[in-house]
Amino acid sequence: MVRDPLSLLDSIVVSVSGFFIVFLMLAVLWGIILVVSRVVGSLEHRPAPAMAKPMQPFAAPRPAAAAAPQVILEGIDETQAACVMAIVSHETGIPLDQLVFKSIKAV
Amino acid sequence: MQFSFIEALQEILAGSGFAALVDDPRNLIMILISFVLLYLGIGRKFEPLLLVPIAFGMLLANFPITGLLNEPTATSSPGMLWVFYQGVEHAIYPSIIFLGIGAMTDFGPLIARPSSLLLGAAAQLGIFAAFLLALALGFPGAVAAAIGIIGGADGPTAILVASRLARDYLPAIAIAAYSYMALIPMIQPPLMRLLTTKEEREIKMEQLRPVSKTEKIVFPIAVATVVILLIPDTAPLIGMLMLGNLLRECGVTERLSDTAQNALCNIVTIFLGLSVGCKAVADKFLTLETIKIIALGLLAFMFSTMGGLIFGKIMCKLTGGKVNPLIGSAGVSAVPMAARVSQVEGQKANPANFLLMHAMGPNVAGVIGSAVAAGFMLKVFGA
Repeated sequence: MVRDPLSLLDSIVVSVSGFFIVFLMLAVLWGIILVVSRVVGSLEHRPAPAMAKPMQPFAAPRPAAAAAPQVILEGIDETQAACVMAIVSHETGIPLDQLVFKSIKAV
Repeated sequence: MQFSFIEALQEILAGSGFAALVDDPRNLIMILISFVLLYLGIGRKFEPLLLVPIAFGMLLANFPITGLLNEPTATSSPGMLWVFYQGVEHAIYPSIIFLGIGAMTDFGPLIARPSSLLLGAAAQLGIFAAFLLALALGFPGAVAAAIGIIGGADGPTAILVASRLARDYLPAIAIAAYSYMALIPMIQPPLMRLLTTKEEREIKMEQLRPVSKTEKIVFPIAVATVVILLIPDTAPLIGMLMLGNLLRECGVTERLSDTAQNALCNIVTIFLGLSVGCKAVADKFLTLETIKIIALGLLAFMFSTMGGLIFGKIMCKLTGGKVNPLIGSAGVSAVPMAARVSQVEGQKANPANFLLMHAMGPNVAGVIGSAVAAGFMLKVFGA
């Protein structure tokens, strides 16, 4: 499509258009994700996730709440504990419902 | 006929690789470089899964008179490394590696916060900046495009583009890409601290919403359909990336997903590394251009990091301080290392900060972004 040698103007045009195309493509994907989320949300009979105003808590708090009576928290609050659980689950690849936390201590 | 042991020994030595090394000492230099790369891979653990096979391929390719790289002729079989290289030549290995990456990647954080896609786009700045710099240094357009792709911080993409647009520079580009990916924990933090304030780094982000299984299944199908239809040159990368992700998420192909993530990816990694390394032969590698490519690669990484960070700051302002700009630097693909760097820097500023999941969004967006940029460059400069 483009022949050498490229003039300075051509080079800049190619560069700027390439950057623009990347932005445009990913912006289109953003739109598609929003549409898919809304459609899936309505099909699953729940509020469209993309439209949810404040972000809902990640998967961590649910098991955290279930496991809360058994977990001893030392120097951290429940939100931080939930984050730790979520990170441990993500890093190890073990689902939260299969992880047992006995205590979480701030160091 | 009289047999002379000394003469026989002399003949063996004269026909050996040692004698050929003396004839062309540049091969010896390449062998020494391969030793250094082996040290970096094994001793310093710089991307060892790729660097060790690359370095060993370089070592094998620079042993003289082995015929490993010989092309097939009417009377002779091809060399082993020539056969392996066909997988790079025809874009097979990078595509299969992308299949594995797709199977390993959780796009959940990206689906939960799709605005991360823009951070992934901004962090491709280095590709286009390095492209311009490479042109300024006198590289032809196609080669400059391949060099620029180093800024995407995505090894398979860089290899695919270089194999199509700049075959002679493939080893230098691949080695630069993988070396700098390994050095991300050293390259990015100074820029992150330079371009953000302490208050910005301390920002704690809200938890991501849960993403349903259906959304995760629809995502790869939708992305493949839209992106490939719009930019067909991205098909090998985006197609395989999304197939791998579909195998992971659909829930009925666990064995295939497991194979793509592990066995297949590991096998192809060996062939890919050897194939890239075997192209690093003295007459093509020991040039001033290689040094320029290594320098441009570093600049490309730095510009990409800065692009992501600057856009992260813009998003921070636009959202009234809800986005920590540190996640912008994760927009360079290098999954998951760049996201981990964001996490580490965020926690240094605020020990209660957990940015990992937030940074994974731009991180995987960067994979898509660099594939799109590669598709654009192939479209513009491809034959």
